[in-house]
Amino acid sequence: MCHNRPAILRYVLLRVDNLSKRFGQITALENVSFEIRSGELLGLIGPNGAGKSTLFECLAGLLPADTGTITAPESLFYIPDGIAPWPAQPLSWALQFAIDYFGGNPALLPELTAQLDLAPFLAQPIGALSKGQRKRGLLALGLLTPQPLLMIDEPFDGLDLRQMRDVAAVLKTHAARGRTLFLSIHQIADAARFCDRFILLSNGRVRAEGTLAELATAPGQTLEEVFLALT
Amino acid sequence: MPSPSRALLHKEWRELLASRAWWLLLLLIGPLTGMSFIAAVNTYAEVSAAAGETLTPLSGIWAPTGSACELVAVFLLPFVVIRIVGADRQSGALKLELQRPQSRLTRIAAKSAIALAGWAVALLPLLAAAALWRSYGGHIHPSDLLVLLTGHLLNGGLTIALAAAATSLAEHPSTAAILTLSVTVGTWIITFFAALRGGLWERIAAYTPAAVVAEFQHGLLSLPTLLVSLTLLLAGLTLAAVWQPLGTRTSRKLQQTAALGLITALALFLAVQTHQSWDLSENRANSFPLADELALRSLPQPLKITARLAPEDGRRVDLERNAFSKLRRLLPNVEIEFQSATATGLFEQAAAGYGEITYAYNGRSETNRVATAEGVLESIYAVTGLQPANLPEIPFRGHPLAVTPTGAGALFYLLWPGLTLLCGVYVRRRFQ
Repeated sequence: MCHNRPAILRYVLLRVDNLSKRFGQITALENVSFEIRSGELLGLIGPNGAGKSTLFECLAGLLPADTGTITAPESLFYIPDGIAPWPAQPLSWALQFAIDYFGGNPALLPELTAQLDLAPFLAQPIGALSKGQRKRGLLALGLLTPQPLLMIDEPFDGLDLRQMRDVAAVLKTHAARGRTLFLSIHQIADAARFCDRFILLSNGRVRAEGTLAELATAPGQTLEEVFLALT
Repeated sequence: MPSPSRALLHKEWRELLASRAWWLLLLLIGPLTGMSFIAAVNTYAEVSAAAGETLTPLSGIWAPTGSACELVAVFLLPFVVIRIVGADRQSGALKLELQRPQSRLTRIAAKSAIALAGWAVALLPLLAAAALWRSYGGHIHPSDLLVLLTGHLLNGGLTIALAAAATSLAEHPSTAAILTLSVTVGTWIITFFAALRGGLWERIAAYTPAAVVAEFQHGLLSLPTLLVSLTLLLAGLTLAAVWQPLGTRTSRKLQQTAALGLITALALFLAVQTHQSWDLSENRANSFPLADELALRSLPQPLKITARLAPEDGRRVDLERNAFSKLRRLLPNVEIEFQSATATGLFEQAAAGYGEITYAYNGRSETNRVATAEGVLESIYAVTGLQPANLPEIPFRGHPLAVTPTGAGALFYLLWPGLTLLCGVYVRRRFQ
């Protein structure tokens, strides 16, 4: 369980204040405020349509927010869900591009290739990879980048149970080395197994923020129960 | 480790190599150039046999052969550019790449540089045609080819800037393609109106891509044309850079677009104020004889010419091409005005004064109906009292050549497509 992870929380890496975003008549985010501390494994949980991806895109500067402030946004890198970048290029090239263009750490490449079992399809064009293979490739790309905060939208989407466990282990290894991870996960049970702290998002609003112990109102309450009680 | 800019350039080059659109463009431009070249060589041979005097390869071979490049620049190159600029957005790569703090112009400049390099490769059949022409014993005047290639590169650059701007503005590649082709059709409409109405339309039409290429095909390097083209090219690329970022508000992009429009308008206004041009054609096709130029340059007062000819009157077209365009190059302060009540002049023929050309200089005037270059010069001398110096002129004999285009079919219809296919398959396999 993630609660056993050594506490290396030191300082606020990113602060979000009153972030709002509307798409016409639809309010996607409303006065969202929270902070991310260095070294933590933070889970953004919420049902489909809660505004998780919109929040990530606003934080990454890929979507203009209507109001609100984001402090130190340059310290993050974001891996969106459902993309197939550079589909004609082989995965090996994309990983090298992450090193050359984003200033990634080349020493991590062999390690990540082994950890995420990428070797069999390194030579394959990204467009020809399965969803799970592509997801692992993109996780490797994200982990290569040098930003202290890595945000991943649905890191386990498209992975089978075994792959999910392997990926979770890899992410925890990198978090243990001090990399801050902010993960959007719509499967609350997955998030509960994996993260230190949670932000519960529903209908574009932050319903609660904290560790499971902080959020639980009764002993033995699960994250799913907490979420259902709050939303 | 390569610099981020170099990594970006390398990535764009790989994306170009992976693009089917570019390989298809390469595949088609060979046979198209070959077809134009073979037709041009045959026609050149026929004219050479009949009356070969003053024939030049620039107008007889390179201009018609290069028309294939014009066609490809209009109908195929935009799709290659849309692929290069728009694929990142479609695949989601843009969301990753934009997270690296980098100047917006740098990203567009890298894409445009690679697209231009891709276009330069597509001009290779034109150079192959030159080599073939040389092998037939044909004459090549280096500046002819250089000016022609510059014209096609500039035309390609304009297409790239236009398509890049359209791709950044549009959400979808098909919308970008429609936008690009709409602008191209728009330039044709301007040309149509220019022929019909003259005046301001005519001035604007002089800077459409087709007119720019035509100028280069005549061996003319004109500073205003260059400056206007480069301004439009930079404006297109900047517009693409303004609209590419995903995290910028539309209102901010609109403000930046308005500012860009103002700056572009100012730059265009300044560009059209320049008059410098260089006639690089071997036979000085865009200039009067040297003795006449020397005499005309010494005119201290402005000359005014009024021609009562409709825009679609053939005499006006001849006058413009053979005399007035040369005069404007030579005398920036010459005032030339066309007057007509109709577009065709068909129903004005009987009107008093229609067809007359009046030359006014320093209070004196001269009116006649002579519409040849020699007639115009004589009229100017009559009204100004000038006399051309008696300079010895070496008559231009031209380079007639009656040959058959041996080997051109094999080169352009078999070898070029075959090589393109082989290279395309090899490169795509290497990626896998």
